[in-house]
Amino acid sequence: MSIFSRRAKPGGDAAMVISERELSELTRQLDELHESTFPPLCKGLDELTANLGAVVRQPSTRRSFFLGAAGAVALGAAAACSGGQPAAPAASRTPASPPPPQETYPGDLKMVAVAAALENLAVSAYEEVLRKVGTGELGAVPPAVATFVQTAMKQHSDHAQAWNTALSRAGKPILSDAPLSITQQQMALLAAARSVPDVAKFALNLENVAAQTYTAATTNLSDHTAIMTAATIQPVETMHAAILNFIIGEYPIPDTFIGISTALKPDSLAVR
Amino acid sequence: MHSKNRFRQFSAHGPAAAATGAAQGAPRDDVAALQTAASLENLAVQTYQMALTLPFIGGPQAKPEVKMFAERTMMQHSEHAAAFNAAVQRLGGKPQTAPDPKYAEMVRQALPAIKTPDDAVGLAITLEDVAAQTYAKDVGLVSTAELRQLFASVAGVESMHKAILLTVQALLKANQPQLIARPPQIAELPSSAGSVGFPDAFCPTAMAAPVEEGAVK
Repeated sequence: MSIFSRRAKPGGDAAMVISERELSELTRQLDELHESTFPPLCKGLDELTANLGAVVRQPSTRRSFFLGAAGAVALGAAAACSGGQPAAPAASRTPASPPPPQETYPGDLKMVAVAAALENLAVSAYEEVLRKVGTGELGAVPPAVATFVQTAMKQHSDHAQAWNTALSRAGKPILSDAPLSITQQQMALLAAARSVPDVAKFALNLENVAAQTYTAATTNLSDHTAIMTAATIQPVETMHAAILNFIIGEYPIPDTFIGISTALKPDSLAVR
Repeated sequence: MHSKNRFRQFSAHGPAAAATGAAQGAPRDDVAALQTAASLENLAVQTYQMALTLPFIGGPQAKPEVKMFAERTMMQHSEHAAAFNAAVQRLGGKPQTAPDPKYAEMVRQALPAIKTPDDAVGLAITLEDVAAQTYAKDVGLVSTAELRQLFASVAGVESMHKAILLTVQALLKANQPQLIARPPQIAELPSSAGSVGFPDAFCPTAMAAPVEEGAVK
Protein backbone atom coordinates (compact mmCIF):
# COMPACT_ATOMS: atom_id res chain seq x y z
CA MET A 1 0.00 0.00 0.00
CA SER A 2 1.32 3.41 -0.85
CA ILE A 3 2.38 5.48 2.07
CA PHE A 4 0.37 8.30 0.59
CA SER A 5 -2.89 6.39 0.61
CA ARG A 6 -3.56 7.50 4.18
CA ARG A 7 -3.68 11.11 3.12
CA ALA A 8 -6.59 12.96 1.64
CA LYS A 9 -6.41 14.08 -1.94
CA PRO A 10 -8.52 17.22 -1.89
CA GLY A 11 -7.30 18.29 -5.29
CA GLY A 12 -8.40 15.16 -7.01
CA ASP A 13 -11.27 16.76 -8.88
CA ALA A 14 -9.92 20.26 -9.01
CA ALA A 15 -8.65 20.07 -12.58
CA MET A 16 -12.05 19.38 -14.13
CA VAL A 17 -13.86 22.05 -12.12
CA ILE A 18 -11.30 24.67 -12.97
CA SER A 19 -11.16 23.64 -16.62
CA GLU A 20 -14.89 24.18 -16.90
CA ARG A 21 -14.57 27.58 -15.34
CA GLU A 22 -11.74 28.44 -17.67
CA LEU A 23 -13.75 27.28 -20.63
CA SER A 24 -16.71 29.39 -19.58
CA GLU A 25 -14.51 32.40 -19.05
CA LEU A 26 -12.78 31.99 -22.38
CA THR A 27 -16.14 31.60 -24.09
CA ARG A 28 -17.44 34.70 -22.38
CA GLN A 29 -14.37 36.66 -23.47
CA LEU A 30 -14.76 35.43 -27.02
CA ASP A 31 -18.40 36.53 -27.01
CA GLU A 32 -17.37 39.94 -25.75
CA LEU A 33 -14.79 40.21 -28.48
CA HIS A 34 -17.44 39.49 -31.08
CA GLU A 35 -19.97 41.86 -29.60
CA SER A 36 -17.93 44.90 -28.71
CA THR A 37 -14.52 44.93 -30.27
CA PHE A 38 -14.68 42.51 -33.10
CA PRO A 39 -14.46 44.78 -36.16
CA PRO A 40 -11.52 46.99 -35.13
CA LEU A 41 -9.73 44.07 -33.51
CA CYS A 42 -9.44 42.02 -36.65
CA LYS A 43 -6.53 43.93 -38.15
CA GLY A 44 -4.54 43.87 -34.94
CA LEU A 45 -5.26 40.22 -34.37
CA ASP A 46 -4.01 39.36 -37.82
CA GLU A 47 -0.68 40.91 -36.87
CA LEU A 48 -0.57 39.32 -33.45
CA THR A 49 -1.65 35.82 -34.37
CA ALA A 50 1.77 34.60 -35.42
CA ASN A 51 3.46 35.80 -32.25
CA LEU A 52 0.82 34.44 -29.94
CA GLY A 53 0.79 31.17 -31.79
CA ALA A 54 4.49 30.83 -31.16
CA VAL A 55 3.92 31.50 -27.50
CA VAL A 56 1.21 28.86 -27.30
CA ARG A 57 3.55 26.31 -28.85
CA GLN A 58 6.34 27.13 -26.39
CA PRO A 59 4.96 27.12 -22.86
CA SER A 60 8.41 27.40 -21.38
CA THR A 61 7.57 30.01 -18.80
CA ARG A 62 4.71 30.79 -16.57
CA ARG A 63 4.05 34.04 -18.38
CA SER A 64 3.94 32.24 -21.68
CA PHE A 65 1.42 29.78 -20.22
CA PHE A 66 -0.97 32.59 -19.42
CA LEU A 67 -0.27 34.27 -22.71
CA GLY A 68 -1.10 30.92 -24.18
CA ALA A 69 -4.58 31.04 -22.73
CA ALA A 70 -5.06 34.56 -24.01
CA GLY A 71 -3.55 33.50 -27.29
CA ALA A 72 -6.13 30.77 -27.67
CA VAL A 73 -8.85 33.41 -27.46
CA ALA A 74 -7.01 35.65 -29.86
CA LEU A 75 -6.41 32.87 -32.31
CA GLY A 76 -10.08 31.93 -32.19
CA ALA A 77 -11.04 35.50 -32.82
CA ALA A 78 -8.50 35.76 -35.59
CA ALA A 79 -9.94 32.72 -37.27
CA ALA A 80 -13.33 34.38 -37.14
CA CYS A 81 -11.81 37.49 -38.69
CA SER A 82 -11.03 35.52 -41.79
CA GLY A 83 -14.70 34.88 -42.32
CA GLY A 84 -14.75 37.15 -45.40
CA GLN A 85 -12.59 34.73 -47.26
CA PRO A 86 -13.80 31.28 -48.13
CA ALA A 87 -12.22 28.71 -45.90
CA ALA A 88 -10.47 25.83 -47.59
CA PRO A 89 -12.45 22.60 -47.50
CA ALA A 90 -11.25 20.37 -44.73
CA ALA A 91 -10.75 17.46 -47.11
CA SER A 92 -8.27 19.39 -49.21
CA ARG A 93 -6.01 20.28 -46.27
CA THR A 94 -2.86 18.38 -45.49
CA PRO A 95 -3.65 16.20 -42.50
CA ALA A 96 -2.27 18.01 -39.47
CA SER A 97 -0.27 16.10 -36.93
CA PRO A 98 -2.14 15.79 -33.65
CA PRO A 99 -1.26 18.52 -31.17
CA PRO A 100 1.06 17.44 -28.37
CA PRO A 101 -0.75 16.60 -25.16
CA GLN A 102 -1.01 19.59 -22.89
CA GLU A 103 1.05 19.52 -19.75
CA THR A 104 -0.82 19.70 -16.46
CA TYR A 105 1.83 22.03 -15.08
CA PRO A 106 3.33 24.14 -17.86
CA GLY A 107 6.22 26.56 -17.51
CA ASP A 108 7.12 27.64 -13.98
CA LEU A 109 4.24 25.61 -12.61
CA LYS A 110 6.16 22.40 -13.24
CA MET A 111 8.90 23.46 -10.83
CA VAL A 112 6.25 24.63 -8.38
CA ALA A 113 4.66 21.19 -8.61
CA VAL A 114 8.05 19.53 -8.07
CA ALA A 115 8.50 21.65 -4.95
CA ALA A 116 5.03 20.76 -3.63
CA ALA A 117 5.67 17.08 -4.28
CA LEU A 118 9.09 17.24 -2.63
CA GLU A 119 7.60 18.82 0.48
CA ASN A 120 4.89 16.16 0.55
CA LEU A 121 7.61 13.53 0.32
CA ALA A 122 9.38 15.09 3.31
CA VAL A 123 6.14 15.20 5.33
CA SER A 124 5.38 11.58 4.51
CA ALA A 125 8.92 10.54 5.34
CA TYR A 126 8.79 12.21 8.74
CA GLU A 127 5.33 10.70 9.33
CA GLU A 128 6.85 7.33 8.63
CA VAL A 129 9.69 8.06 11.04
CA LEU A 130 7.16 8.88 13.75
CA ARG A 131 5.37 5.63 12.99
CA LYS A 132 8.64 3.77 13.39
CA VAL A 133 9.24 5.59 16.67
CA GLY A 134 5.80 4.57 17.86
CA THR A 135 6.35 0.90 17.07
CA GLY A 136 9.80 0.85 18.62
CA GLU A 137 11.53 -0.06 15.35
CA LEU A 138 14.24 2.53 15.96
CA GLY A 139 14.97 1.61 19.56
CA ALA A 140 15.16 4.36 22.14
CA VAL A 141 14.64 7.74 20.51
CA PRO A 142 16.14 10.78 22.27
CA PRO A 143 13.65 13.56 23.03
CA ALA A 144 15.60 16.07 20.91
CA VAL A 145 15.32 13.80 17.88
CA ALA A 146 11.58 13.38 18.34
CA THR A 147 11.19 17.15 18.63
CA PHE A 148 13.27 17.65 15.50
CA VAL A 149 11.09 15.27 13.50
CA GLN A 150 7.83 16.85 14.62
CA THR A 151 9.01 20.42 14.04
CA ALA A 152 10.63 19.76 10.67
CA MET A 153 7.55 17.86 9.52
CA LYS A 154 5.33 20.82 10.42
CA GLN A 155 7.58 23.23 8.52
CA HIS A 156 7.61 21.00 5.45
CA SER A 157 3.84 20.89 5.66
CA ASP A 158 3.80 24.70 5.68
CA HIS A 159 6.08 24.72 2.65
CA ALA A 160 3.85 22.27 0.81
CA GLN A 161 0.87 24.45 1.57
CA ALA A 162 2.62 27.51 0.16
CA TRP A 163 3.42 25.74 -3.10
CA ASN A 164 -0.02 24.18 -3.35
CA THR A 165 -1.65 27.55 -2.81
CA ALA A 166 0.36 28.83 -5.76
CA LEU A 167 -0.84 25.91 -7.87
CA SER A 168 -4.43 26.41 -6.79
CA ARG A 169 -4.39 30.11 -7.52
CA ALA A 170 -3.01 29.36 -10.96
CA GLY A 171 -6.01 27.10 -11.54
CA LYS A 172 -4.01 23.90 -11.36
CA PRO A 173 -4.59 20.73 -9.33
CA ILE A 174 -2.85 20.76 -6.00
CA LEU A 175 -0.58 17.87 -5.06
CA SER A 176 -1.24 15.88 -1.92
CA ASP A 177 1.26 13.16 -2.72
CA ALA A 178 4.77 12.96 -4.14
CA PRO A 179 4.79 12.03 -7.84
CA LEU A 180 8.57 12.30 -8.24
CA SER A 181 11.18 10.13 -9.86
CA ILE A 182 12.93 9.68 -6.49
CA THR A 183 9.93 8.85 -4.31
CA GLN A 184 9.95 5.07 -4.56
CA GLN A 185 13.67 4.83 -3.93
CA GLN A 186 13.55 7.24 -1.01
CA MET A 187 10.70 5.45 0.72
CA ALA A 188 12.50 2.13 0.23
CA LEU A 189 15.58 3.58 1.89
CA LEU A 190 13.50 4.79 4.80
CA ALA A 191 11.78 1.42 5.12
CA ALA A 192 15.20 -0.16 5.57
CA ALA A 193 16.24 2.27 8.35
CA ARG A 194 16.54 0.49 11.69
CA SER A 195 18.10 3.06 14.02
CA VAL A 196 18.11 6.76 14.84
CA PRO A 197 21.40 7.33 12.96
CA ASP A 198 19.95 5.50 9.92
CA VAL A 199 16.92 7.75 9.94
CA ALA A 200 18.98 10.89 10.55
CA LYS A 201 21.22 10.10 7.57
CA PHE A 202 18.19 9.45 5.39
CA ALA A 203 16.60 12.75 6.46
CA LEU A 204 19.85 14.62 5.97
CA ASN A 205 20.02 13.46 2.37
CA LEU A 206 16.43 14.50 1.75
CA GLU A 207 16.96 17.92 3.31
CA ASN A 208 20.09 18.42 1.22
CA VAL A 209 18.18 17.49 -1.92
CA ALA A 210 15.49 20.00 -0.99
CA ALA A 211 18.00 22.77 -0.26
CA GLN A 212 19.78 22.16 -3.56
CA THR A 213 16.51 21.96 -5.44
CA TYR A 214 15.48 25.37 -4.16
CA THR A 215 18.91 26.82 -4.87
CA ALA A 216 18.59 25.65 -8.47
CA ALA A 217 14.96 26.76 -8.61
CA THR A 218 15.99 30.36 -8.04
CA THR A 219 17.66 30.14 -11.43
CA ASN A 220 15.03 28.27 -13.42
CA LEU A 221 11.87 29.94 -12.13
CA SER A 222 10.79 33.18 -13.78
CA ASP A 223 7.96 34.38 -11.54
CA HIS A 224 9.22 36.73 -8.84
CA THR A 225 7.03 35.38 -6.06
CA ALA A 226 7.90 31.81 -6.92
CA ILE A 227 11.59 32.73 -6.82
CA MET A 228 11.16 34.37 -3.41
CA THR A 229 9.21 31.43 -2.06
CA ALA A 230 12.11 29.18 -3.02
CA ALA A 231 14.59 31.69 -1.58
CA THR A 232 12.84 31.81 1.79
CA ILE A 233 12.30 28.04 2.08
CA GLN A 234 15.84 27.02 1.09
CA PRO A 235 17.48 28.45 4.23
CA VAL A 236 15.05 26.51 6.41
CA GLU A 237 15.99 23.24 4.71
CA THR A 238 19.68 24.00 5.24
CA MET A 239 18.97 24.65 8.93
CA HIS A 240 17.32 21.24 9.18
CA ALA A 241 20.42 19.79 7.52
CA ALA A 242 22.76 21.55 9.95
CA ILE A 243 20.96 20.12 12.97
CA LEU A 244 20.90 16.64 11.40
CA ASN A 245 24.65 16.88 10.80
CA PHE A 246 25.05 17.83 14.46
CA ILE A 247 22.93 14.88 15.59
CA ILE A 248 24.90 12.46 13.42
CA GLY A 249 28.17 13.85 14.71
CA GLU A 250 29.38 15.31 11.43
CA TYR A 251 30.66 18.85 11.10
CA PRO A 252 27.37 20.77 10.82
CA ILE A 253 28.29 23.11 7.96
CA PRO A 254 30.51 21.05 5.70
CA ASP A 255 30.32 23.23 2.59
CA THR A 256 30.96 26.91 1.96
CA PHE A 257 28.29 27.13 -0.74
CA ILE A 258 25.05 25.21 -1.26
CA GLY A 259 25.49 23.25 -4.47
CA ILE A 260 22.96 22.08 -7.02
CA SER A 261 24.37 18.71 -8.08
CA THR A 262 21.57 16.74 -6.40
CA ALA A 263 18.80 19.24 -7.20
CA LEU A 264 15.57 17.89 -8.62
CA LYS A 265 14.81 19.30 -12.03
CA PRO A 266 11.38 20.00 -13.48
CA ASP A 267 11.44 16.71 -15.34
CA SER A 268 11.59 14.90 -11.99
CA LEU A 269 7.84 15.31 -11.83
CA ALA A 270 6.04 12.09 -12.70
CA VAL A 271 2.93 13.89 -13.91
CA ARG A 272 2.38 14.74 -17.53
CA MET B 1 -7.74 40.73 -18.59
CA HIS B 2 -8.46 37.22 -17.40
CA SER B 3 -4.97 35.81 -17.85
CA LYS B 4 -3.32 38.84 -16.31
CA ASN B 5 -5.63 38.67 -13.31
CA ARG B 6 -4.64 35.09 -12.69
CA PHE B 7 -0.97 35.96 -12.99
CA ARG B 8 -1.46 38.84 -10.57
CA GLN B 9 -3.16 36.52 -8.09
CA PHE B 10 -0.20 34.18 -8.19
CA SER B 11 2.30 36.97 -7.89
CA ALA B 12 0.57 38.68 -5.01
CA HIS B 13 0.38 35.53 -2.95
CA GLY B 14 2.98 33.82 -0.85
CA PRO B 15 4.82 34.19 2.40
CA ALA B 16 7.52 36.33 0.85
CA ALA B 17 5.29 38.70 -1.06
CA ALA B 18 4.66 41.17 1.71
CA ALA B 19 8.26 41.24 2.78
CA THR B 20 9.84 41.58 -0.63
CA GLY B 21 7.45 43.73 -2.60
CA ALA B 22 6.94 43.28 -6.27
CA ALA B 23 9.62 45.48 -7.70
CA GLN B 24 12.68 43.84 -9.12
CA GLY B 25 16.03 45.54 -8.96
CA ALA B 26 17.57 47.16 -11.96
CA PRO B 27 20.88 45.72 -13.11
CA ARG B 28 22.71 48.66 -11.58
CA ASP B 29 21.55 47.41 -8.20
CA ASP B 30 23.44 44.19 -8.75
CA VAL B 31 26.79 45.77 -8.02
CA ALA B 32 25.51 47.54 -4.91
CA ALA B 33 23.87 44.36 -3.60
CA LEU B 34 27.09 42.40 -4.12
CA GLN B 35 29.19 45.10 -2.46
CA THR B 36 26.84 45.21 0.51
CA ALA B 37 27.04 41.44 0.76
CA ALA B 38 30.84 41.61 0.67
CA SER B 39 30.75 44.25 3.40
CA LEU B 40 28.67 41.97 5.64
CA GLU B 41 31.11 39.13 4.99
CA ASN B 42 34.08 41.38 5.75
CA LEU B 43 32.49 42.32 9.05
CA ALA B 44 31.80 38.69 9.88
CA VAL B 45 35.44 37.78 9.21
CA GLN B 46 36.64 40.63 11.41
CA THR B 47 34.23 39.71 14.19
CA TYR B 48 35.17 36.03 14.26
CA GLN B 49 38.83 37.08 14.15
CA MET B 50 38.28 39.22 17.24
CA ALA B 51 36.24 36.49 18.92
CA LEU B 52 39.07 34.02 18.42
CA THR B 53 41.30 36.24 20.54
CA LEU B 54 38.95 35.74 23.49
CA PRO B 55 40.09 33.02 25.91
CA PHE B 56 36.74 31.23 25.83
CA ILE B 57 36.47 31.19 22.02
CA GLY B 58 39.99 30.69 20.69
CA GLY B 59 42.14 30.48 23.83
CA PRO B 60 42.93 27.87 26.43
CA GLN B 61 39.47 27.98 28.02
CA ALA B 62 37.74 27.32 24.72
CA LYS B 63 36.02 24.06 23.92
CA PRO B 64 37.67 22.55 20.83
CA GLU B 65 34.31 22.39 19.06
CA VAL B 66 33.71 26.10 19.63
CA LYS B 67 37.16 27.11 18.45
CA MET B 68 36.84 24.93 15.36
CA PHE B 69 33.43 26.38 14.57
CA ALA B 70 34.74 29.95 14.85
CA GLU B 71 37.76 29.18 12.67
CA ARG B 72 35.84 27.37 9.94
CA THR B 73 33.00 29.87 9.95
CA MET B 74 35.47 32.72 9.60
CA MET B 75 37.05 30.92 6.65
CA GLN B 76 33.67 30.35 5.02
CA HIS B 77 32.80 34.03 5.38
CA SER B 78 36.12 34.92 3.81
CA GLU B 79 35.29 32.70 0.83
CA HIS B 80 31.85 34.29 0.58
CA ALA B 81 33.42 37.75 0.51
CA ALA B 82 35.76 36.63 -2.25
CA ALA B 83 32.86 35.23 -4.25
CA PHE B 84 30.79 38.40 -3.92
CA ASN B 85 33.73 40.59 -4.84
CA ALA B 86 34.61 38.41 -7.82
CA ALA B 87 31.05 38.89 -9.06
CA VAL B 88 31.36 42.64 -8.50
CA GLN B 89 34.47 42.73 -10.63
CA ARG B 90 32.85 40.69 -13.40
CA LEU B 91 30.23 43.43 -13.54
CA GLY B 92 32.90 46.14 -13.71
CA GLY B 93 32.47 47.34 -10.12
CA LYS B 94 34.98 47.95 -7.36
CA PRO B 95 35.43 45.18 -4.79
CA GLN B 96 34.30 46.05 -1.29
CA THR B 97 37.01 45.55 1.30
CA ALA B 98 35.39 47.50 4.15
CA PRO B 99 32.84 46.21 6.66
CA ASP B 100 29.16 47.13 6.57
CA PRO B 101 29.06 50.52 8.31
CA LYS B 102 25.84 50.03 10.24
CA TYR B 103 26.69 46.68 11.74
CA ALA B 104 30.39 47.54 12.18
CA GLU B 105 29.25 50.23 14.59
CA MET B 106 26.98 47.74 16.34
CA VAL B 107 29.88 45.31 16.74
CA ARG B 108 32.18 48.08 17.96
CA GLN B 109 29.71 48.97 20.67
CA ALA B 110 29.04 45.35 21.61
CA LEU B 111 32.62 44.12 21.90
CA PRO B 112 33.51 45.62 25.31
CA ALA B 113 30.46 43.91 26.82
CA ILE B 114 31.42 40.43 25.62
CA LYS B 115 32.47 38.61 28.75
CA THR B 116 31.11 35.10 28.20
CA PRO B 117 30.63 32.60 25.37
CA ASP B 118 26.94 33.38 25.48
CA ASP B 119 27.66 37.06 24.75
CA ALA B 120 29.84 36.16 21.78
CA VAL B 121 27.31 33.68 20.42
CA GLY B 122 24.54 36.27 20.65
CA LEU B 123 26.54 38.75 18.59
CA ALA B 124 27.38 36.11 16.00
CA ILE B 125 23.71 35.12 15.71
CA THR B 126 22.80 38.72 14.89
CA LEU B 127 25.42 38.95 12.14
CA GLU B 128 24.51 35.58 10.63
CA ASP B 129 20.82 36.42 10.75
CA VAL B 130 21.26 39.78 9.03
CA ALA B 131 23.42 38.17 6.36
CA ALA B 132 20.98 35.31 5.71
CA GLN B 133 17.99 37.64 5.52
CA THR B 134 19.83 40.07 3.28
CA TYR B 135 20.86 37.41 0.81
CA ALA B 136 17.45 35.74 0.78
CA LYS B 137 15.89 39.08 -0.09
CA ASP B 138 18.59 39.88 -2.64
CA VAL B 139 17.70 36.71 -4.54
CA GLY B 140 14.58 38.57 -5.60
CA LEU B 141 16.36 41.82 -6.35
CA VAL B 142 19.29 40.92 -8.57
CA SER B 143 18.83 40.69 -12.30
CA THR B 144 20.48 37.43 -13.39
CA ALA B 145 20.07 33.76 -12.65
CA GLU B 146 23.77 33.48 -11.85
CA LEU B 147 23.50 36.10 -9.13
CA ARG B 148 20.30 34.61 -7.76
CA GLN B 149 22.10 31.30 -7.34
CA LEU B 150 25.07 32.96 -5.65
CA PHE B 151 22.91 34.77 -3.12
CA ALA B 152 20.75 31.72 -2.45
CA SER B 153 23.79 29.50 -2.11
CA VAL B 154 25.35 31.75 0.54
CA ALA B 155 22.04 32.46 2.34
CA GLY B 156 21.70 28.76 3.00
CA VAL B 157 25.14 28.53 4.57
CA GLU B 158 24.63 31.58 6.82
CA SER B 159 21.37 29.99 7.94
CA MET B 160 23.27 26.84 8.88
CA HIS B 161 25.67 28.94 10.95
CA LYS B 162 22.68 30.54 12.63
CA ALA B 163 21.01 27.19 13.33
CA ILE B 164 24.07 25.85 15.13
CA LEU B 165 24.63 29.08 17.02
CA LEU B 166 21.01 29.10 18.20
CA THR B 167 21.41 25.53 19.43
CA VAL B 168 24.68 26.34 21.17
CA GLN B 169 23.10 29.41 22.73
CA ALA B 170 20.23 27.30 24.09
CA LEU B 171 22.65 24.80 25.60
CA LEU B 172 24.68 27.59 27.19
CA LYS B 173 21.57 29.21 28.61
CA ALA B 174 20.50 25.83 29.99
CA ASN B 175 23.91 25.62 31.67
CA GLN B 176 24.76 22.49 29.71
CA PRO B 177 27.95 23.46 27.84
CA GLN B 178 29.19 19.88 28.12
CA LEU B 179 26.59 18.92 25.52
CA ILE B 180 28.33 21.08 22.92
CA ALA B 181 30.35 18.17 21.67
CA ARG B 182 31.04 16.18 18.56
CA PRO B 183 29.52 13.70 18.43
CA PRO B 184 26.93 14.95 20.89
CA GLN B 185 25.39 12.80 23.58
CA ILE B 186 22.06 13.00 21.84
CA ALA B 187 20.23 11.09 24.54
CA GLU B 188 21.20 13.83 26.98
CA LEU B 189 20.16 16.76 24.79
CA PRO B 190 17.09 18.63 26.01
CA SER B 191 14.03 18.22 23.86
CA SER B 192 14.20 21.85 22.73
CA ALA B 193 17.62 21.27 21.16
CA GLY B 194 15.79 19.50 18.36
CA SER B 195 13.93 22.61 17.23
CA VAL B 196 15.52 25.76 18.63
CA GLY B 197 17.85 26.01 15.63
CA PHE B 198 15.12 26.63 13.07
CA PRO B 199 12.45 28.86 14.59
CA ASP B 200 10.73 29.94 11.36
CA ALA B 201 9.10 27.94 8.58
CA PHE B 202 10.17 30.64 6.10
CA CYS B 203 13.33 32.71 6.27
CA PRO B 204 12.29 36.22 7.27
CA THR B 205 13.64 39.20 5.34
CA ALA B 206 12.61 42.10 7.60
CA MET B 207 16.17 42.52 8.88
CA ALA B 208 17.72 42.53 5.43
CA ALA B 209 20.28 45.24 4.87
CA PRO B 210 19.27 47.72 2.18
CA VAL B 211 20.99 47.18 -1.16
CA GLU B 212 23.05 50.37 -0.87
CA GLU B 213 24.05 49.97 2.78
CA GLY B 214 27.50 48.57 2.13
CA ALA B 215 28.03 49.77 -1.42
CA VAL B 216 31.33 51.40 -2.37
CA LYS B 217 30.73 55.14 -2.31
